[in-house]
Amino acid sequence: MLKKISYAVGALALLFGLWGVYIRLFEGEQSANYGSYIGWGLWVAMYLFLAGLAAGAYMLAAFDYLFNVPQFKGTGKTMLWAALVTLPAGLVSIGLDLGHIDRIWKVYLQPNFTSFLALMVWGYTLFLILILISLYLAFTKPEQRVMKIVMWIGFIMAILVAGGVGFLLGGNASRLYWHVGLLPVQFPVFALASGAGLMLLIVGWFMPSLEEKQRGDLLWMLAIITIATSVVKLYFVVADYTQSLYGGATDNLIAVQYVLTGPHKFMFWGVQIILGILIPVLVLAQPKLAKNGFVAGLMGVFLLIGYAAARILIVVPGQVAEMMPGQVEAFHGPKLTLAYSPSLMEWSVTSAVMGFALLGILVGMDYLLGYLARFTEAKK
Amino acid sequence: MSNPNEATLLERYASEVFAGLVAPMEGVEISPLTADDPLAKEDVLVRMNRELKRALEKPASERRWVMVIDLRRCIGCHACTVACIAENKLPPGVVYRPVMTEEIGTYPNVTMKFLPRPCMQCEKSPCTEVCPVTATYHNEEGIVVVDYDQCIGCRACMAACPYGARTFDFGYNYSEQLPVFDGAIVGGETAAGYEHASQEYGEAWKREGSHESPVGNVRKCHFCLHRIKDGILPACTTTCIGRATYFGDANDPDSLVTELINKPNVIRLKEELGTEPRVYYIV
Repeated sequence: MLKKISYAVGALALLFGLWGVYIRLFEGEQSANYGSYIGWGLWVAMYLFLAGLAAGAYMLAAFDYLFNVPQFKGTGKTMLWAALVTLPAGLVSIGLDLGHIDRIWKVYLQPNFTSFLALMVWGYTLFLILILISLYLAFTKPEQRVMKIVMWIGFIMAILVAGGVGFLLGGNASRLYWHVGLLPVQFPVFALASGAGLMLLIVGWFMPSLEEKQRGDLLWMLAIITIATSVVKLYFVVADYTQSLYGGATDNLIAVQYVLTGPHKFMFWGVQIILGILIPVLVLAQPKLAKNGFVAGLMGVFLLIGYAAARILIVVPGQVAEMMPGQVEAFHGPKLTLAYSPSLMEWSVTSAVMGFALLGILVGMDYLLGYLARFTEAKK
Repeated sequence: MSNPNEATLLERYASEVFAGLVAPMEGVEISPLTADDPLAKEDVLVRMNRELKRALEKPASERRWVMVIDLRRCIGCHACTVACIAENKLPPGVVYRPVMTEEIGTYPNVTMKFLPRPCMQCEKSPCTEVCPVTATYHNEEGIVVVDYDQCIGCRACMAACPYGARTFDFGYNYSEQLPVFDGAIVGGETAAGYEHASQEYGEAWKREGSHESPVGNVRKCHFCLHRIKDGILPACTTTCIGRATYFGDANDPDSLVTELINKPNVIRLKEELGTEPRVYYIV
């Protein structure tokens, strides 16, 4: 039943999203609400979220193929598949954010390697190839040494691409909210945490075939990972914001106050903290609830929503301080504003991306992975 | 006219100003200008134009274009902003040289401070480093330019610029709302023709549709390179009614800008970031 509902949600999200994708591709970016002062909005945040999710899913696949954690036995292929779906979904999100997506090939053929963005594009491409190779080996040579080597490279790559996103923002010295050493450090932890959220959802709702005891033990282990990473994440947030508020550097203060008391404060207190951290931690800390598939899956959904909100609250507040005092009042025109809420078109495109990711994971689990397993067996 | 000195001065200047327009008045003598007379001084625009032509005779790599803005002379008229828009045919939402206004003090002791902000043309520019496809770079004269045909529109340079000197072209047009009726009102089409006649970087940019560059690109001030190459000063410089903006080659020891930036009351914005801007402010 949960799976059917998820299919329906994914299909509806994709359907609603097609409208936004059409507007974006054929009418341009005027109906988006990001502008010249807040140039990176929802789509960039969702790219960070989905790319992090892919890195996290890969890390959890390594628990099966690399670290041989017994509770994770048999889940590696699914998590690799999840990584294979969520990474392109993230890249679609950032691709539609480009003013000239038709020129993306230039990043491959005419790259500027002093640009971290160019390095990230190359890094993601390499990571995508590694995921594909890992998945291929998972079907053909799961026990062989080559699988371990590839998984090690992929595992390190997952940490690097996750952290690299933090550097992409943090490298901007003039954006004090981003320019903290903690930022690139946070992202691999965020990636693992959101990956655990995705796995709670997958195991809790979509993998009833797992043996009862293993499923319970796996969910409990994911609960422990979730609690640990949530505590670390909470510590990062408290440390970062306390330091910023105490230090009092104007631009940083504006950004942190925007998060804590600004127009989107509900997204921080309600979604990121209460829904995304407190409720899952309190619920998953109880073994009985954590081992219940429905509850664990629901907590996974809460975690994912919380981490998506966290990404928005990293991307947008970093841009809300004027680069030059008086800039906004100096000249008026469309999109020359520091107020930002995603437009319906932006939500629609994000809906398409999320729908694509959800359906991709479900279709893969229900049909593609099984087909590939049978195909590989037949070949053998 | 209570002060007799003022009356004499006015009479003299008025006579000199209008000397070419009206017949000399009887009893008014036009005195020869002395060296310390304000009217005897050469307009800085004339000097800068001469220096510009001199600089253009040198190889491009030996020039170092800088802009100097005298904040004591800026009256916040925004003429430079408007001139820049007219010169570069900037669409709505795109601005290269806004003038920030800061109110200082509390009523009734209030004064205003103005800060024109072109692109700083940083020598160590954060914006060029982050561009994934080298669409924005220093040209051979050291000016930070944007190759509209190369830019992928990722806006990383906008995030990196510490001065907020870059804006994104979302494809708006001032003339898009104007009425057009066949045979009756043609203003809209004519205006659109003017609006789309940008000659930035020495090329004609039509900006048609929602995808044609520079739509979908990040745009910025380039010191009016297309004018400079023809020996004409940037639009903001020639339009400044207070003569508060100076432009020239800082590698020329005899240029006005060199003279100005070597004085102690000169600052650059956000020096602490190490960007080495080429725009100087006299305070």
